[in-house]
Amino acid sequence: MRKLKWILWGLVLVIVGVFLNYNLPQHDIVRITDSYNRVTPLGSINQYFFAAPDSGTLASSAPDIRFIEAIYPDGTPIVYRNEDTGFWPPYLKFDSANLKAEASDYKSTAEAPKWVSVTHYGWRIAFESIYPNAVKITPVVGPDVRIVPWVNIVILMLLALAIFMARRMWLQFWERMVDPAVASVEEAGGKARGFVGRLFGRK
Amino acid sequence: MIIFLQVVALWFVLTTVVYLLVALYSRSVRRERLEKEFDASFPPASGPESGDVIADRDTYIADGMAEYERGLRRRLIGLVYVLPAVVFVAVVYGVNYL
Repeated sequence: MRKLKWILWGLVLVIVGVFLNYNLPQHDIVRITDSYNRVTPLGSINQYFFAAPDSGTLASSAPDIRFIEAIYPDGTPIVYRNEDTGFWPPYLKFDSANLKAEASDYKSTAEAPKWVSVTHYGWRIAFESIYPNAVKITPVVGPDVRIVPWVNIVILMLLALAIFMARRMWLQFWERMVDPAVASVEEAGGKARGFVGRLFGRK
Repeated sequence: MIIFLQVVALWFVLTTVVYLLVALYSRSVRRERLEKEFDASFPPASGPESGDVIADRDTYIADGMAEYERGLRRRLIGLVYVLPAVVFVAVVYGVNYL
């Protein structure tokens, strides 16, 4: 029973971790090589990794999607999609067209690189054609700058605070509402004790 | 637009749940503190006078709770509604216009 409990908690932790890893913003220092849009047929799996169609428009099995191609300082390529997020994940991004214009402006060659920091969320999974979504592009001085992830720090701290407070509230509820109720039933004695005790007993 | 209204409605329901939970918790913590304060100055006793002390204890807690209901701390829980709206506007501005 104890083992099962730990396995379940581990599972919850993994799910939360994967969820945060997908949705929290990350920064890549890259050199943008191209930005374009192309009609992209979506499959049964990767459709979930693209934004939902805008409200009022029909879902298309091959939507026209903007992409940004870039190269890391070590030469490995990365491709971002550039889509409005709407309300989920809550980036509230609706300036994809502007971002495409910026990306085109930062295009550079290996000989004269313009390094930029691309804020994005999501994963690049090549065999399912899944791309991270670029949210913001900011120019940086060079490939070696260090970006402090303030947004992540704040969000994770607020999350920890929320969990801590939820636990405090739960314990307060038990202490003030459930335990006294159990105690008064136990004082009264009788048959009810066994049933309620089993129901509320924390062992 | 419909989606926007749906999200606002959902947000309102969720924040109301959070508001009620926080308000209950805060009230419960305050009541517990008042009880402990009183018990520290008048240790619970059993005797001919214990009835008076229990009556005083109830008045003390009722007065303390009435003061809490008028206080700033209870009103600050209203920030549960305000802060997410501020964050929403800040995110829209930061992501799209900065």
